[in-house]
Amino acid sequence: MGKISKPTIIEAFFWIVIAGIFFTYTFTFNQPIEIYKFGATGWPRVILLLILFVAFGNLYYSLRHGSKAQQDRVGMGDDTDEVAYDSFGAYLKTGFILIIPFLYALSLKPIGFYCATPVFIVLVMFAWGERRWKFILGSTLFIYILLLFLFMLVLNAPLPQGNISPFYDVSAFLLKMKTQFDQLF
Amino acid sequence: MIDNFLAGTATLFGDPFTVAIFVFGVVGGMLFGAIPGVSMLTLAAILLPFTADLSPAQGVMLFAVIYCTGTYGGAITAILFNIPGAPENAPTAFDGYPMTKKGMAGKAVGAAVLCSAIGGVTSALIMMSATEPLAKWAIMNIGPPEIFALVFFGLAVASSVGGRTIWKGWLSVLLGLLIATIGQDPVGGINRFNFGFSDLAAGIAFVPAILGFFAVSEVFVQAEKKAVGKYEAPLLSVDFPSIVELWAHKIAVLRSILVGFFCGILPGIGATLAAFMGYGEAVRWSKDKSEFGKGKLEGVISSETANNAATGAAMIPLLALGLPGGALTAMMVAVFQMHDLEPGPLVFYNSPDLIWVVFAAMFYANLSILFIGLLETKTILYLLKIPFQFLAPMILMLASIGAYISRGLPLDVMVMFLAGIIGFFLRRSGYSIPGIVLGLILGKIGEQNFAQGMQMVHYDLGTYFSRPICTILVIAGVLTLAKSLYGAFTPVARKTA
Repeated sequence: MGKISKPTIIEAFFWIVIAGIFFTYTFTFNQPIEIYKFGATGWPRVILLLILFVAFGNLYYSLRHGSKAQQDRVGMGDDTDEVAYDSFGAYLKTGFILIIPFLYALSLKPIGFYCATPVFIVLVMFAWGERRWKFILGSTLFIYILLLFLFMLVLNAPLPQGNISPFYDVSAFLLKMKTQFDQLF
Repeated sequence: MIDNFLAGTATLFGDPFTVAIFVFGVVGGMLFGAIPGVSMLTLAAILLPFTADLSPAQGVMLFAVIYCTGTYGGAITAILFNIPGAPENAPTAFDGYPMTKKGMAGKAVGAAVLCSAIGGVTSALIMMSATEPLAKWAIMNIGPPEIFALVFFGLAVASSVGGRTIWKGWLSVLLGLLIATIGQDPVGGINRFNFGFSDLAAGIAFVPAILGFFAVSEVFVQAEKKAVGKYEAPLLSVDFPSIVELWAHKIAVLRSILVGFFCGILPGIGATLAAFMGYGEAVRWSKDKSEFGKGKLEGVISSETANNAATGAAMIPLLALGLPGGALTAMMVAVFQMHDLEPGPLVFYNSPDLIWVVFAAMFYANLSILFIGLLETKTILYLLKIPFQFLAPMILMLASIGAYISRGLPLDVMVMFLAGIIGFFLRRSGYSIPGIVLGLILGKIGEQNFAQGMQMVHYDLGTYFSRPICTILVIAGVLTLAKSLYGAFTPVARKTA
């Protein structure tokens, strides 16, 4: 006993909160289904109760053994355990890496794929610690052209164009060029 | 059968345009499977509208070929980057990636090439010789209770592999099952857990979630290592496994073919569960279980043989019963429907030419995995030489496009990155990403078949368990869970944090 750590408490809290929120939400769709006895809530509620039960099992295991791995576990990825933060800067770097793609996803609807992508590629490479600007710009150009060639020209995939000017206009211009290119053949 | 096969071969290779489609499918499936961030599903989603311009045989054949070669291609990224190209390649990463870290990538990829080809060719041969009797057997013996029982058994196996403890393995699978309940319930169509977002009424799409959990979270894990100065580039090696090494695993190959084919033949199950079961059985029968997950060749062999063995088998319920076994086979149904055809028993009588062109194409596609796979493997291994700061944006971009294309919703890109962030934190805490994904994939199938089974037996458990296959599978699942639970109370082996 006494091996419980702060991350373990956070973990247990996380599962209990998830189970609680979802269980409460089941009351919003708790309607009977005439042809099915267990209704729309039966299956999810069983899953939520199991989550609660297993979360307590997990907590009990952590109390007994801390964060040690169980014997004979197979396929356990343990490479992430090597990571230990030694400075606030390292936290910032990881936070930056996690937030950039999310901002990119948010920007897709207003700005569109064609304008947001080069900026995103530059930011990701920068976040990864790359500081050689010629390398960053060259690689960005290479990846961008490759993606446009593959998905726009070869596969004709519909990609988001954005809905704010001037980004939308740039997307429209690129698509017009593509149509003219198609007409050549 | 031989006459039909030869006729199918003649039709396939008699028309240059059909040959071109076949080659495109083989190369496209391998490439999209082997490029981290996209998968055969991305290619299939893009190509689906274009199949309207092809003949029905060409359209279905193209998708069948992509299915065979894409299932193999996904093993490459699983082994080299710990990013399974498709969920069916997830167990391959358990041992494949540790092999890469040990400088044995060549051996792992070589084994994947050979075993994918063996599994796929054998499966294609059985499919050609026994589609009708197997379909009849499946109709007579397999119903919703059996499918639910197999899902239960498969989830029990999945929870026992991956994850730092059995509790974390279960929590991973349960999280996947919970995510699968988002959207309409399969019986009454009532909206569940949409939290006011109308786009969530259709549920969480598989493709963005899978890309997020597998590809994006792995990029984040590597990025974190880079941020704290612990990043190590994987080691490059081009040593193939020797014949002696592969021959030593002949029993594992045979077992995985049987397991893979059985899982594949069941409607709705597909290659993903086959790969997990193949891997799980390899662990169960191994004398040295402790080596699994640390870079054991048998892990790669079992998983890759089983998933490709399921590709041929998955065509049986699709063609004979009209029931798809996974995302890609579901798209094949769409190809049939575009040409005013319905897959099912009648297709064997109305369109035998189509059936045998598809069978012949699948056979040759699996053979080509061996030849093209061995040729391309040494080149593909040099992907490891590309600096990750260049590869990372490429993977994220391809994954974004892959997530967006399937439904054309920017929300899916958001879902993918959210899944990536959740996956990143869960991996750090020792949870099993493949467990989550399998729960997500099988959740809806499990619920639907449980509901149908219960309605079928009028909620009488006695009748439910009077079905032998169902009972055997449920007992096997319960025993697997009981064994894992027993393990949860045994002493710990190693400290990981």
